[in-house]
Amino acid sequence: MNGELLVFAAASAVAIVSALAMLFQKTPVRSVLSLVVTFFALAVLSVLLAAPFIAALQVIVYAGAILVLFLFVIMLLNLTQEAAEKETRVVHRFLSVMGVLALGGILVGVTWKAGNPPVPITTSPNAIPVLGVDGEIPLLGRLLFTDYLLPFEALSVLLLLAVVGALLLSKRRFE
Amino acid sequence: MDPLLFDALAAIAKILFVWAVVLAALLPNLVLLERRGAALIQDRPGPNRVGPFGLFQALADVVKMFMKEDMVPLYADRLLYNLAPLITMIPALTTFAVIPFGSSIPVTIGGVTHIIPLVIADVNVGILYVFALTSLGVYGLVLAGWSSNDKFSLMGGIRSSAQIISYELAMGIAAIGVFLAAGSLRLPAVVAYQHHGTFLGFLPHWNCFPQLIGCVIFVVSAFAETNRLPFDLAEAEAELVAGFHTEYSAFKFGMFFMGEYANMVAASALIVTLYFGGWSLPGLALTGLWGGLASIAIFAVKTFFFIWLFIWVRWTLPRFRYDQLMAIGWKVFLPLSLLNLLWTGWLVLASGGRV
Repeated sequence: MNGELLVFAAASAVAIVSALAMLFQKTPVRSVLSLVVTFFALAVLSVLLAAPFIAALQVIVYAGAILVLFLFVIMLLNLTQEAAEKETRVVHRFLSVMGVLALGGILVGVTWKAGNPPVPITTSPNAIPVLGVDGEIPLLGRLLFTDYLLPFEALSVLLLLAVVGALLLSKRRFE
Repeated sequence: MDPLLFDALAAIAKILFVWAVVLAALLPNLVLLERRGAALIQDRPGPNRVGPFGLFQALADVVKMFMKEDMVPLYADRLLYNLAPLITMIPALTTFAVIPFGSSIPVTIGGVTHIIPLVIADVNVGILYVFALTSLGVYGLVLAGWSSNDKFSLMGGIRSSAQIISYELAMGIAAIGVFLAAGSLRLPAVVAYQHHGTFLGFLPHWNCFPQLIGCVIFVVSAFAETNRLPFDLAEAEAELVAGFHTEYSAFKFGMFFMGEYANMVAASALIVTLYFGGWSLPGLALTGLWGGLASIAIFAVKTFFFIWLFIWVRWTLPRFRYDQLMAIGWKVFLPLSLLNLLWTGWLVLASGGRV
């Protein structure tokens, strides 16, 4: 048994246990904290997969920003106990089941596909396969602005739309 | 000696050195420095009775912290209440892992000379590691505020969560300019980039000159991130008793106190590394044993200046109002940091990669 496997086992165990704790926790604040621990364990797994950049982004964006906002809202509304009522509307139930099924389908598909040898991204002419002291980060930047330029820009526009939408909603409420 | 074992021993030695300096030498005496500095600015003597120049005041303060009664409020969430001070301390202390505190030191063992770079871990994500850790530090404050089950504490926690997210954004975008110029996320590369050459022919090649706006934004945001005046809205003793740590006493309160200073030291070290040349001085090669030791001293002096700046500003400026804090963060710093990024990009483009 080598050290890498040991860290993998520990991080996976922490991720699974904290994810379950997130679901079954009575206090919303504790649920958010369990999710932070989950994200941290996932970051450790990313480091094990030799992707420290993804790990750092995972912690900065999810654990450090999005979940802090979750906490902010929960604390602002002071949801000390499980204030949210049980979801009773049939449409909502149907949609959540569909969402879970779709996600499960994607997971199964990806896992099945991973069995076949994947096409390495470094075959692109834009990828210079030199891993120096900076690791995969220059490669990532280069690929984002060449091969994956369209998806990258499309995602940025999507985020911008979300920002504009949020602004519009908050404006309308106060006027 | 096995090179792997040697690397491990060197890393342990460096960790011990940094923690010894920060935890044992710096933190207790910073409290004294702050109190004497406050006294200097307010034109009074300050604590000067314990030992020569009041040098043992730090010891007396620590003993006092230990001896006080450790209270936990009724109806507090005990687990989170006890965890919160730890969460504040740990990110501040682990930040130092990627900050280069000197050039390098040659060590000769059995006729073989090893060059030990004076940075604990030269990881390729560098600054992202620092941002990841500092973004976790906010949980300490937020949880302390929430778990105390007290309205003032809760207000402090809510304030700090919104404040730190807002300023992290401007800080991050300002820092991107530095890495755009240096062409790497690694902090040793940033220092090496600033070491040689000049800016405009007569200024040191430090990032603070071409990226003045970015530097100012980063320094001011660092004040907000470390919860220091004029941005200590999470504490705000005039409005919230003591903010997020109202319900803390004895050594748990002491840990928040130490965490604040540890954060301050980390922020100062980061400012020096990113914008003021790190351990380098223009015109000095800083190699060999004496060069390595001199580089540590240079880094210490520069960092100390910014620590003093933190104290200086605290006792000079009044506190911001909360809406002003948010307005300046989002409406002034964020656009300015984007402008700084644009300007740096233009500089890099115009100079063919070397500013």
